[in-house]
Amino acid sequence: MLRIEHLSKTFPGQVALSDVGIEVEAGEVHALVGQNGSGKSTLIKVLAGYHQPDPGEATAWLNGEPLVLGDGQAATGAGIRFVHQDLGLVGSVSAVENIALTVGYHTGRGRRIRWRDETRRTREALAALGLSDVDVKVPINSLPPSQRTAVAIARALVGWEHGATLLVLDEPTATLPGDDVERLFQVIHRLKDQGISILYVSHHLDEVFELADRVTVLRDGERVATKPVSELDHMALVELIVGHRIEITTATDANASGAPLLTVRDLRGGTVRGADLDVYPGEIVGLAGITGSGREHLLGLIAGQIPREDGHVVLEGTEIANYQPRQAINTGVAFVPAERALRGVVGPMNVRENLSISDVSRHFVRGRLRRRAEVAETKHWIDRLSIKTSSTEAMIGSLSGGNQQKVMFGKALRLSPKLLLLDEPTQGIDIGAKDQIHRLIDEAAASGMATLVASTDTDELVRLCHRVVVLANGFVKMTLVGDHITTEKIEHTQLESSRRGS
Amino acid sequence: MIKRLAFDKYSALYLWALFMLYFGITKSDTFLTNTSFKLVVVENVITGVLALAFLVPLTTGTYDLSIGAMMSMSLVISAYLSKHDVMNPVLGMLVALAACGLAGFISGFFVVKLRVNSFIATLGMSQVITAFILHTSSQSITSPFPKSFMNIGAKQIFGLPRFVYYLGVLAIVLWFVFEHTPLGRYMFATGGNPEAARLAGVRTDRLVWGSLVASALIAGFAGTIYSWKVGNYAQSVGPGYLFPAIAAVFFGASQLKGRANVWGALIALYALAWGIKGLQLTFSTNTIWIEPLFQGVSLLAAVSLASRQGVIKVPRRKTAAAIDVTPIDPSIAPTEAPA
Repeated sequence: MLRIEHLSKTFPGQVALSDVGIEVEAGEVHALVGQNGSGKSTLIKVLAGYHQPDPGEATAWLNGEPLVLGDGQAATGAGIRFVHQDLGLVGSVSAVENIALTVGYHTGRGRRIRWRDETRRTREALAALGLSDVDVKVPINSLPPSQRTAVAIARALVGWEHGATLLVLDEPTATLPGDDVERLFQVIHRLKDQGISILYVSHHLDEVFELADRVTVLRDGERVATKPVSELDHMALVELIVGHRIEITTATDANASGAPLLTVRDLRGGTVRGADLDVYPGEIVGLAGITGSGREHLLGLIAGQIPREDGHVVLEGTEIANYQPRQAINTGVAFVPAERALRGVVGPMNVRENLSISDVSRHFVRGRLRRRAEVAETKHWIDRLSIKTSSTEAMIGSLSGGNQQKVMFGKALRLSPKLLLLDEPTQGIDIGAKDQIHRLIDEAAASGMATLVASTDTDELVRLCHRVVVLANGFVKMTLVGDHITTEKIEHTQLESSRRGS
Repeated sequence: MIKRLAFDKYSALYLWALFMLYFGITKSDTFLTNTSFKLVVVENVITGVLALAFLVPLTTGTYDLSIGAMMSMSLVISAYLSKHDVMNPVLGMLVALAACGLAGFISGFFVVKLRVNSFIATLGMSQVITAFILHTSSQSITSPFPKSFMNIGAKQIFGLPRFVYYLGVLAIVLWFVFEHTPLGRYMFATGGNPEAARLAGVRTDRLVWGSLVASALIAGFAGTIYSWKVGNYAQSVGPGYLFPAIAAVFFGASQLKGRANVWGALIALYALAWGIKGLQLTFSTNTIWIEPLFQGVSLLAAVSLASRQGVIKVPRRKTAAAIDVTPIDPSIAPTEAPA
C-alpha cells in the first residue's frame, strides 16, 4: 500500500539516504531498523514532510495514488499518521484537550466548546485501543508514560475512518519502563487485529520479533534487506544491521594496575538499576548501550548531578555524596554534560566567564577579582585547546558548537580533576573539532587522569577507549578489552543484550 | 559610526544629555538651578534604593515583587515602635529591618524549597505583608520621629541629606559584589542558565534564597529612608514606588553591559527623572500624568532599541535545536532547518 522508490537525501557533506526503497503491505506491521546514522529517522522525516528529498527519481505511491514526498500536508491528507518519539503532547493539559487541540473542537451555538462531546470522543478513542481506564481529565504529565504514548496514538487515530491508511510509530518504547512496554504492545496488537498498517521504527530487536511481519534494514543510508521476520533469527538480524565494517585500530593499552581510582558499587537511579564499576588511573573507559540501558544516566549519577536511589561512589577513598555537584567537584570530579546548550553553556555570559565559572575564586586575591589574571588564564586555554573565538570577551553563543564544546572542556580541565566524566563529548560537532577533542582526551589520560566516556558513537569509543563497558536494562552486561573493542563487537553486544528479561 | 556611538548601550546617557540641553535652553531660569537639582536627586533616592532591591534577586533570575510592601512594613514597624515608646528608634529601625529580612527568608523558603515560581511567591508574600500593615496601622501611629533618629539620615552634607550618600554607598557595594567578586559571577551564572550553573558547582539554591533576603533588607532600608525624608508615618507608600523602580532596572539592563547592572539602573532612573522634571516645568499645571507616561514610553523605546541590535541575545535557534534533540541520528541533526 505504501511504496517508495529511489529515495535519496543528501545533507551538506553527508549522504543520509542513497536510492532507498520501502514497501509496506496493507495490514502488516513493518519494522524499520538500523544503527544510529543509518538513515531511518531521515526516512521518517522525509515522509513526514520535515525534510525535502533530493530532486530526482524519488517516487512514492500510497494505495496506488502518487504521493508527494517532503510535503507534510500531502502526507496527512493521504492518510499517513505519525507518532514521533517525543509524542508532541502538551503536558499541562488533559488528554481531552490534547486531542481536541489537534483535531479541532466540537463547537455548539456561539462557538461554545462542547466539552461533553470532546470527552466522549477521547474516551471512545482510548477504548478502541483497549484503554478504558485512562483518566482523560487530568494533565498529561500526571499520566504514566505508557498512557501518554497511548493518548498520542489515539490522537493520531482520531478520524481514522475518514481515510487514514498508515500509522508510523517512531521509537515508541525508547523512554518507556519495562512494564509499560508490555501494555503498549497490547495496544499495537489490537491495532494490527483491526487491520491497520504500521511502520514501526525501533532499536530494540526483540520488539521487531514480537510485533513485526516484515523488517527493512538500513545501513549507512542504503537498504540492506527487506525480509519476513519468520526467516530471520536474532543473530542474523544483528548481522544485517551491523554488517562487516573496516575496523579502526584501537587505543593503546593503559597501565591498569594498582588500586582503582574510582569504585562504583550497586549504583541505582534513573535508568540505572544496579551498576558496579572500577576505573584505574590513566584509563579511558567507554560506556556503550542503547537509549534506556542506563548509559545516559550513569555519569550524572556518579558526579552527584542526578539524585541516586542507592549505591556508593568512592574516589580515592573519598565518598562522592549524592546530588551535591559542588562536593563532587571539590573531590576531584569534572563533568562535561551532554546537551551543551541546555546544561553546559551559560548563554548570557562570555567565553571567559563560561570557562572560569566552576572556580572563579582562584582569581579572587586580596578582596577583589583580578580581571587581568583571569583574562590571561582564559587566553592560555584558548591557545591550548585551539578555541576559535574573536576574544576572551566574545559571547559564548557567537562560537561554533565545536568551539563551545572546547570551552566546556577547558572549564573541566582547569579544575585539574582526577576523574573526567564526558557525556557525548562530540555530539553535533564537526569532524575537525571532534578529532581535536579526541586528542585532548588522550592527553588527559596520559597525564594520569581517569576518564569515563559515555557515547552513542561506537567509532568514537573504539578510537578512544582502553576498555568498553556495555550496559543493558540498567546493568553492566559485558566489558570489552583490548582486541575485543571493535565497532562490530560493541554494536552486537548492545543489541544482543537488549533482549528483554535476559 | 552608529556602532561606535552605541546608541543602544548608552541610550539613557544620550537621553540625559538631550534633556539637560533642551530644557536647559527652554527653561533656563528654572531647570538648571540648584533647587531643581536637589529636588530631582532627593525625590528619586527611594526609587533608586528599591530599584537596587529588585536588581539583586534579578541577577539570579528571581523576581521580587514584594519590595514595595517590604518598604511599607519597615516604615510601619518603626513608626509603631517609635509612637509607643517601646524602644529607642534606632533599635526600632533595626527591628524593622530584621522583620523584612525574615519575610524575605520566608519567600525564599517557598521559592527554593517548595519550588514556587518567584513571581507568585513574592506576590503572595506582598499581600500578606499588606494585611499586616493595614492591621497595625489601624490604630493611629502618626507622630513625628524624634530628632535624634532624624539626624542619622536627614542631616545635610554639602547641601544634600545624608541618605542621598547612603544610596551612593549601597550602589558602590553592590557594583563591587556583582563585578569584582566570585559571588557576583555565580549570581549572574544562576540567572543565565540555572541548570548549567548548578552542574558547574554553583550553589544556585543558596544564591536565590540569599538574594531574596538581601532584597528584603534593602527594601526595608528604603522604608527607613522614607521616614528620614518625610519625618512622619504615611500609610501604604511602598507600592507606588514599585513600578518606577522595576522600570528603571529593566531600562538599565539594556544599558552599558547588556545585562542587569547597578549603574545602568541608576542612570536610567535619573535620566528619566530629569526629563520628567523638565516636562513638569514646561507644562506647569496638572502634570502628575507625565511621570508614568514618560517612564513607560522610555522603557519600551530603550528595550526595543537594545533588543533590535542584539544586546539582549536570545539564542533561539540553539535552544530549539537543543530541545529537538534527535538522539537517533546525532550525526545528521544540525543540518537542515525545518521547512
